[in-house]
Amino acid sequence: MIKKFTFGQYRDKSSAIHQLDARIKIIYVIVLGILSFTIMAKADIFIFSLFVLMIAVLAKIGFRDLLSNLRPFYLIFVFLLAMYLIFSRDQIVLGLVYLWRFLMLIIISLLLTFTTKISDLIAAIEKLSKPLKILGIKPRNLAMMISVAVRFIPVMFVYFERVREAMISRLANLRKFRHMKVLVTLLLEKMMKSASNLSDSMYSRLYDENLESQRVMKLGPFDYISVLVVAFFIFIIY
Amino acid sequence: MIKAKNLYFKYEDDFALKNINLEIKEGSFTAIIGANGSGKTTLGKHLNGLITPLSGNVFVDGLDTKKDGLNARKKVGFVFQSFEDQIVYPIVEEDIAFGLENLKFDNAEISRIVNETLAKLKIVHLAKRNVNTLSLGQKQLVALAGVLAMNPKYIVFDEPTTNLDSSNKKMIMGIIKSLNKSGITIILITNVLEDLKYAGNIIVMKNGSIIFSDKKSKLNNKILRKAGLYD
Repeated sequence: MIKKFTFGQYRDKSSAIHQLDARIKIIYVIVLGILSFTIMAKADIFIFSLFVLMIAVLAKIGFRDLLSNLRPFYLIFVFLLAMYLIFSRDQIVLGLVYLWRFLMLIIISLLLTFTTKISDLIAAIEKLSKPLKILGIKPRNLAMMISVAVRFIPVMFVYFERVREAMISRLANLRKFRHMKVLVTLLLEKMMKSASNLSDSMYSRLYDENLESQRVMKLGPFDYISVLVVAFFIFIIY
Repeated sequence: MIKAKNLYFKYEDDFALKNINLEIKEGSFTAIIGANGSGKTTLGKHLNGLITPLSGNVFVDGLDTKKDGLNARKKVGFVFQSFEDQIVYPIVEEDIAFGLENLKFDNAEISRIVNETLAKLKIVHLAKRNVNTLSLGQKQLVALAGVLAMNPKYIVFDEPTTNLDSSNKKMIMGIIKSLNKSGITIILITNVLEDLKYAGNIIVMKNGSIIFSDKKSKLNNKILRKAGLYD
């Protein structure tokens, strides 16, 4: 399981999307995310989906890889759909559109983490969130929180699986609330301990929340071309 | 040299360390051994400045960890027992660079040191790998690489071979030994008697106190029995 589970983790490939500046990619995720929530027409939805799939192809991300990373969300999709079917069957089309928006948002975010090294992502988040300093938010802490989440989400899934198997092997019934509560408590305990160990490790490797990234980020030709492409895409949609 | 003077530390009401006095000389290989809960890890964390004493002092090359913890940590690296949690970034080469970024090296220098460290530990092939896909032995090497890249003068290893199979154990202990030969001072925290064969100096702990601190040749079964390490 641990060998297979690499949810949302960076895929080391050589592609135009990989070469884009991380700041630009973050801005695209925000722009495309907002855009997906504003369109309703079938033709727009079709063009938007095609555009996102084209990005995946350009990034050399396999369709199967993408689908396997969506697996943790299947239950949510089914739940949302079931809610529409039960409570507002007449609005099922609207429900499907919301589901599609949710799906697009996940795929766009996955494409960002698949094609961006975590250190680039951190440097980009740090640079983009500099204005938040006025509100007392430290950009490095914000960036680090996101990176740690990306690093530890798969570990959490693996630990969940280990505890689940250990409990089932001793005849636990995870449909029972009492047993599920134990599993969740153990998982939380483990995550707290991991967080404490990680914080010790970061401290011993001289982590300083006030430090600013030394990384120099410059836009390249691919970035400028991508701006034109995305602008043209937005023009078509509107 | 690392020196601890009249060191006391407690978690809530219980003393984890009581009146610790020790000296670790440059270039030496010191093993700190004791039963579970004897205070070994707490002592190790004091040497790196991760924990500061309740009373007493720890000096790293004259730097008091209470007053100058950051510079003390620059000199003393720490490889944690739970090395899986020690890895901050998901990609191997990025994690090795983490400490170097904090030391404010520029990109070219970081890249050079990362490559050198990967080559030193013979893990160049792992550079682009996701840490979640590595074996335990490989993860231990990555955790060590992250510390080694920062070029510490001293390295504290907290039970580095726990959970490893015999071939990985041998490999890790071989690397630790060669690091010591290259001039790095090693402090090995362990509860395995077999690991003592690598060390020149031994510190035996029991219930937060040092009950023996001397050359390995002076260690005997009576002391180990007293520490609860020998039947």
